[in-house]
Amino acid sequence: MKFKKLLMECPILIGITSIAILLTIVALCFKDTVYAGYAGEETFGRHPALAMVFRGARDNVFPWSSEGAAGANYEPVQESSEGDDEAFSEGEENAAQVSEDNADGSSDGGEDTSFESEDGGDISGNDAEDEETVYEFTEVDDDYFCDALFIGDSRTVGLSEYCEELDSRATFYSKVSLTIFACMDKEFIKTEEGTISVDQALRENSFGKIYIMLGLNEIGVGDTQYFKDAYKEVIDRITELQPDAIIYIQGIMHVAAKKSDHDKVFNNDIINERNAAIAELADQKRIFYIDMNEAVDDGNGNLDSTLSFDDVHLKASSYERWHEFLLHNAIVR
Amino acid sequence: MVNFSDLNFIFRFLPVFLIAFYLTPIKFRTWTLLFGSLLFYAVGDLRMLPALVGAVIVNFLFAKAQDGEKSKSLLLFILAIDFGMLAEFKILGQFVDNALMPIGISFYIFKMISYQMDVYSGRITDRMRLVDVAAYFCMFPQIVSGPIMRYEKFGENPFVQGKSQGRLSVFTMIEDGLRYFVLGLAFKVLIADHLSMLWNEVGTIGYESISTPLAWLGAYAYTLELYFDFWGYSLMAAGIGVMLGFPFITNFDQPYGAGSVSEFYRRWHATLGSWFKDYIYIPLGGSRKGALRTVLNLLAVWVITGLWHGITLNFVLWGLILFVIIVLEKFVVFKRLSSVVGKIVGRINVLVLIPLTWVVFAINDFELLGNYFARLFPFFGVGNNVNEGDFIKNLEIYWMILLPGVILCIPKLFEFWENHRNHVLFNVLWIVLFWGCIMSISGSAGNPFMYFRF
Repeated sequence: MKFKKLLMECPILIGITSIAILLTIVALCFKDTVYAGYAGEETFGRHPALAMVFRGARDNVFPWSSEGAAGANYEPVQESSEGDDEAFSEGEENAAQVSEDNADGSSDGGEDTSFESEDGGDISGNDAEDEETVYEFTEVDDDYFCDALFIGDSRTVGLSEYCEELDSRATFYSKVSLTIFACMDKEFIKTEEGTISVDQALRENSFGKIYIMLGLNEIGVGDTQYFKDAYKEVIDRITELQPDAIIYIQGIMHVAAKKSDHDKVFNNDIINERNAAIAELADQKRIFYIDMNEAVDDGNGNLDSTLSFDDVHLKASSYERWHEFLLHNAIVR
Repeated sequence: MVNFSDLNFIFRFLPVFLIAFYLTPIKFRTWTLLFGSLLFYAVGDLRMLPALVGAVIVNFLFAKAQDGEKSKSLLLFILAIDFGMLAEFKILGQFVDNALMPIGISFYIFKMISYQMDVYSGRITDRMRLVDVAAYFCMFPQIVSGPIMRYEKFGENPFVQGKSQGRLSVFTMIEDGLRYFVLGLAFKVLIADHLSMLWNEVGTIGYESISTPLAWLGAYAYTLELYFDFWGYSLMAAGIGVMLGFPFITNFDQPYGAGSVSEFYRRWHATLGSWFKDYIYIPLGGSRKGALRTVLNLLAVWVITGLWHGITLNFVLWGLILFVIIVLEKFVVFKRLSSVVGKIVGRINVLVLIPLTWVVFAINDFELLGNYFARLFPFFGVGNNVNEGDFIKNLEIYWMILLPGVILCIPKLFEFWENHRNHVLFNVLWIVLFWGCIMSISGSAGNPFMYFRF
């Protein structure tokens, strides 16, 4: 009777309190199994236990998810929760929009590609000669990018939005918060038939050059070797799908000193370490490593802060430096 | 934890404090409030706790000295100390190190000043006890960002003063406070925090490179962000106050429904506006000493208001612009123009000029500010590397936050909810809303880059 009166008096309080207790019990019961990935020293104790349930739910991990599946999900889980937030789905639409813009361009690019490769075939000569040739970076003009593909995260999205010369010629498979782990299989490229993955898109289109810049979102995930292995897997797969393309591994762009100096994860020491690792994947024949940081450096190994507002991304007016760098560091076979 | 939308505050500090507060015998509850508040402050800013405690004790002693005969020189002396302390810390915080700025100093010093002036004027007649005064200055629901509640309201709490509680039950108060808290939380977490991403996006592109439509979208997004951030915070703060038995403090009263800028600022951050009116404008003579004095008094109020928000030039400029608009409204718009035209101009001032003044408020670098206005009004110059598609792109992402934000500016909606807030549908909705907010907050828990996705 008394409880009924209380329930009449404060339904919201009772509703919220009972759900909170329930969720806390769920979180504590499953903290060593389903939520093991969320109960690390970092978060456990520093946040109320029920936060685990919500963080899990955001990654589609629920108490009834099988333990094995959650275990297998461990890394991606960490990675997506790293930069996840409410607007994630919005972000997805955003990226999808961008790639839609490029989907039109990609069919153009496709035509250009066949044209280019016919043309290029004459110049490059036979394959045996290829084996011996030492390639050097040279200067090219914008038409070099007509059969180029750019794969990347928000920074590459920015390049597509604020470099008209590249956007009108090249294809962009770029998406905010894209990682090396997700870049092949995540379905974010909008086509007339629906949304497809990079893997799928590379089976359907061919490119002469493929530029990749990925690695900042996942910088807190795993160690450098883990990152390098994942990167190698992606390169191998792209090579398999596009054996004739030149692959450019772009070093991860630095962050500005203000961010680098105060951040345990997103700092230039780690970026440099990872860049050194992925540079080793280059074979100087078909796979090349280029580092655009020299074009945006402040003289102390950081991103020049005058080129950025948030210390991470280039301002619209700064993308030209990246473009110029690409024009001056191209491989012609 | 000194953030009401922090999970540790919501699920740890607040429930534990509420239980402790109500388990304390009524005679000692003010002590619980004081110690809880000092703990809250210490967790947020331990180094600056001595500054707070020192200010509290000094202010109490000066007020105590006014017990019998009032002394004007004593009043002026303590006011000088209070203003001096605020100015000093603001200067240190601005020019030396941001960390030197104690949390909430702008608010607790203003409470102290109003307290001193009320004691002097005889408005406060209660027997003075250190614990009451200290708890009033430090109370955790208000210490970070107000509302600047008057001391007389502090005395209206039936659950600490042992006065007649009438039919009020503790649980009714907690429930009602929770309603305001949840609404404020939703405003802040679901609307303001997400709109801040749009404002940040505008900065990331670079003000010189945004299209004119995006510049306007950005100005309105920032306008809404600021509104829901501060209104949301104020609802949370007032809601916690209600949970503890204090009267609900209205800090925002549908400002965008105002018919003029002067009315806007009676409804926006109302406790600050009435503070300026009662403790600066009226003591200076208000509008009773002729037109020239009125203008000068307004000037004083708005320059101090600007500086109070921050001691960079853009805040002074912001205050001066508002001063000019308000003077024009007072002496031209509502005096010389026909009443219909006057009403239209007043509305335009609120709905168009106010958002533009927020841009001045937001950008503290004059060159960047100039860039922004050159994009708002593109006949002042051309943009650099503008992508005309930026407006549509951002609108597509953010319309689902902008639209509810705009709708919630309709004054009648809040009134309707307030009148029907006990309805069972609202009860269910509020529980859902609360957990929706928690879902949103959890996504960023332990993630310092809350809104960073590269």
